[in-house]
Amino acid sequence: MRINFWYISSLFISIFVIIPTLTVFLSFFESTSNYYGILRDTFLFEYISNSIILLISVLLLTFLIGTGTAYLVSFYEFPLSNFFKWALILSFAVPPYIYAYSLTAFFENYGTAYSILKNLFGDKNYNLYIPKFDGMIGVILSLSFSLFAYVYILARASFLYQSQNFIDLGKNLGFTNFKTLYSIILPAARPAIVAGLSLVAMETLAEFGAVDFFSINTLTTGIYNSWITFDDLAFANQLSFFLLLFIFALFILENLSRNKAKYHFNSKGGFKQKQKLQLKGTKSIAAFLFCFLVFFLSFLFPLSQMLYWTIKFPENLFDLQIINLLSNTLYLVILSSFVLIMFSLISNYGNRVTKNKTLNILSTLSISGYAIPGVILAVAFITFIAWFDESVVKNLGLFSIKKIFIGSILGLVLVYFVRFYSLAFNGIKSGYEKINISVDESSYLLGYSKRKTFMNIHIPFLRNSLLFVCILISLEIIRELPITLILRPFNFETFATTAYISASEDLLEAAAVPSLFLILIATSFIIITSKYILRDNNE
Amino acid sequence: MSKNFFEIKNVDFNIDGKTKVKNVSFSIEKEGDVICLLGPSGIGKTTILRTIAGLERIKKGSIELNGKVLSSEKINIEPENRNVSLAFQDNSLFPHYDVQKNILLGTEKNKEKIEKKIDVKEIIDLLDISHILNKYPHEISAGEAQRASLARSLMTQPDLLLLDEPLSNVDQSFKEEIQVRLKKILNKLKISTIIVTHDSYEAFYLGSKCGIILNQELKQFDDPYNVYHLPNSIEVVNFLNRGILIPAEVTSPKSLENKDLGTITGNFNKPFPIGSKVKLLVQPEDLHHDDQSNLKFEVIDRKFRGTNFIYTLKTPSNLLIPVFVHSHHIHQHEENEKFGIKRPIHIDHIVCF
Repeated sequence: MRINFWYISSLFISIFVIIPTLTVFLSFFESTSNYYGILRDTFLFEYISNSIILLISVLLLTFLIGTGTAYLVSFYEFPLSNFFKWALILSFAVPPYIYAYSLTAFFENYGTAYSILKNLFGDKNYNLYIPKFDGMIGVILSLSFSLFAYVYILARASFLYQSQNFIDLGKNLGFTNFKTLYSIILPAARPAIVAGLSLVAMETLAEFGAVDFFSINTLTTGIYNSWITFDDLAFANQLSFFLLLFIFALFILENLSRNKAKYHFNSKGGFKQKQKLQLKGTKSIAAFLFCFLVFFLSFLFPLSQMLYWTIKFPENLFDLQIINLLSNTLYLVILSSFVLIMFSLISNYGNRVTKNKTLNILSTLSISGYAIPGVILAVAFITFIAWFDESVVKNLGLFSIKKIFIGSILGLVLVYFVRFYSLAFNGIKSGYEKINISVDESSYLLGYSKRKTFMNIHIPFLRNSLLFVCILISLEIIRELPITLILRPFNFETFATTAYISASEDLLEAAAVPSLFLILIATSFIIITSKYILRDNNE
Repeated sequence: MSKNFFEIKNVDFNIDGKTKVKNVSFSIEKEGDVICLLGPSGIGKTTILRTIAGLERIKKGSIELNGKVLSSEKINIEPENRNVSLAFQDNSLFPHYDVQKNILLGTEKNKEKIEKKIDVKEIIDLLDISHILNKYPHEISAGEAQRASLARSLMTQPDLLLLDEPLSNVDQSFKEEIQVRLKKILNKLKISTIIVTHDSYEAFYLGSKCGIILNQELKQFDDPYNVYHLPNSIEVVNFLNRGILIPAEVTSPKSLENKDLGTITGNFNKPFPIGSKVKLLVQPEDLHHDDQSNLKFEVIDRKFRGTNFIYTLKTPSNLLIPVFVHSHHIHQHEENEKFGIKRPIHIDHIVCF
């Protein structure tokens, strides 16, 4: 094995990304304040039980919504079925916390629902009859409608590659459509559905904005509180340790499922493209209504609620420093995307040319960053910088580095880097998997060095993958809340933090404008990438 | 220092830590010679090419080109600095460039040489790829991709060209024509070439020397004529599959005796003591059909091969002997009929083991 620029760079990047995870694990053995005793006797059980209830409910709902819509648009034709095919992924543009604001705004006392009823039927006390979707129900609905698209996209991709032969076989065996669904179609798509549900589970356990808004205590809010309220970093890390163990189990499950999913997709022999069945009559209307309801609830409802409030309270639009928020958001997006893509490219190429096992293992570990909740990452980052500052920098007699990394753009971008590294690394890796290794070898034989092969052959080939990854990262950063909230510089706001701050001060009307902008920007990004997300062929 | 243009000395060829072919030595005497390496799939032929190209390293022996050591235990010149070109068996065209751009990339390496030898248009015409120049690799067939890849390799004007099964994806009907064109190009450009193939006819046609790789060894490295008519081991005979070995006894310096065929005369490839029990190689063209002969065997199979038939005859000792008969021969013999063999039997090259 030769030590060269590519090896050293890849090694350094992988180790850097693993540091927060290591910090959490090492902090497990540190002593904590009295908060642990208080929590153990009071809220710890509630944190754990709430996390489990939330997880099970969201998994169940996202399974039903995601798989149901994917099944309908993959196998049947009905009014607007082609529109729903991509429209259903627009729910990604609405982060759970904005969904939570919309839900509250619509159903609260004297909220939007009340105004509609009043305009339709006159002044009465409708508040008694309007259901209240707050607390645990509110969180479950917000998360489910915001996250079901993970299941939808992966299940649909799996359904798409199922051969017509499967369905014909079902018919041949005398199965009804329903029996074909649960005996043949669903089991064949199981790995993809499990992969989607694992992503939902990770996001649910990591969710901070919506659970905080509805005041539901989960392990994630527990971590945040133990650090913010009790200033107990070590205990925050200990809670993180337990949450991480749980998430790693899901992460491994998700990876295993993905491997199996690949196995299914590769079976090309005898593949017969299936014909969609044309639904007629009540079945057609039912399919349309189901998809429309999901599309409406997941995207149109929060969008129109935010739009309604923006129009109703235009002063908020003028009060908000839109240009400033937009430039801050774009600044973070551009800087982080550039750093993520550049280093992920180097790391991917390093892995490719060195073929080193240690590097390979480190890279696999380093992409686990996506499974770690943003709150934990932010806390771990602060812990590490504090330790490094105390133990190394001060002993060397140098100036404190805390201000350089904590509450600065640099710190924010570094933690984004750890959080979204797996997204960038895997996105570029899947692009690289399409380049046969003999292409690299041909390039060397044509006289190109490794650097020239990277610049002249790989980069042009990966152009589309890079664009796709760049937009995915941008989408995540625009929606990201806890890391930005904890690590942003003083007076530096984004659409997400402005919406959160207004909502946490019970000024939901003021939260509408930044939320609306956030949804619109995210929607435009999704539309640009939709053709990549919903690939209909083997490209 | 070696006097040969290219030389491999006692090299073990490895891939992924496993030795594929051991202790190989062979050479290309002068610039412009073409040699072919033959062997079954998976035996390590491609590993040899990859190692010569610098994509794999060696721990033993040396590889020299034009008096310069390319690979040894201590030296390993990077692939990009060898001026050795390898055309892969599979499509290795750059997928994001069209065929023309792919081919022209080959010219970048040796710009100063371009005017000296190679005309792009000529290569394109010879390989018949002008109609795909503006297409992308995914839009062309595997055979076209192979020819485009070959054109790119030629355009680099390498000191040594390595071709890995260069025509394996080319249609059978077009293959012979491309073989002729390839031979013409290589002769004209005087590019020393090593071709790996599993098609013995292709190897015999293109190569001035052929190497047979079997059981991790280079078993024979010789002129195509000698490889075919004077194979040096039973393994080579079995690999070429162009005859059978029958038991015989040496009766004089120029004859031997088989129980079914009787006396066979000819020139031995190497001397054997009189009275030795040997295995004699009988190739389909060694025996001749004669309806008048009283040496007759039963036909058990007949294969039509266009220009000829190959009859398989069963002798009283249950030997299965192949015999060529021109396909325009006056009549055909059906299975179970008797088939006459001309006597006396004379074989130019008597090969015994």
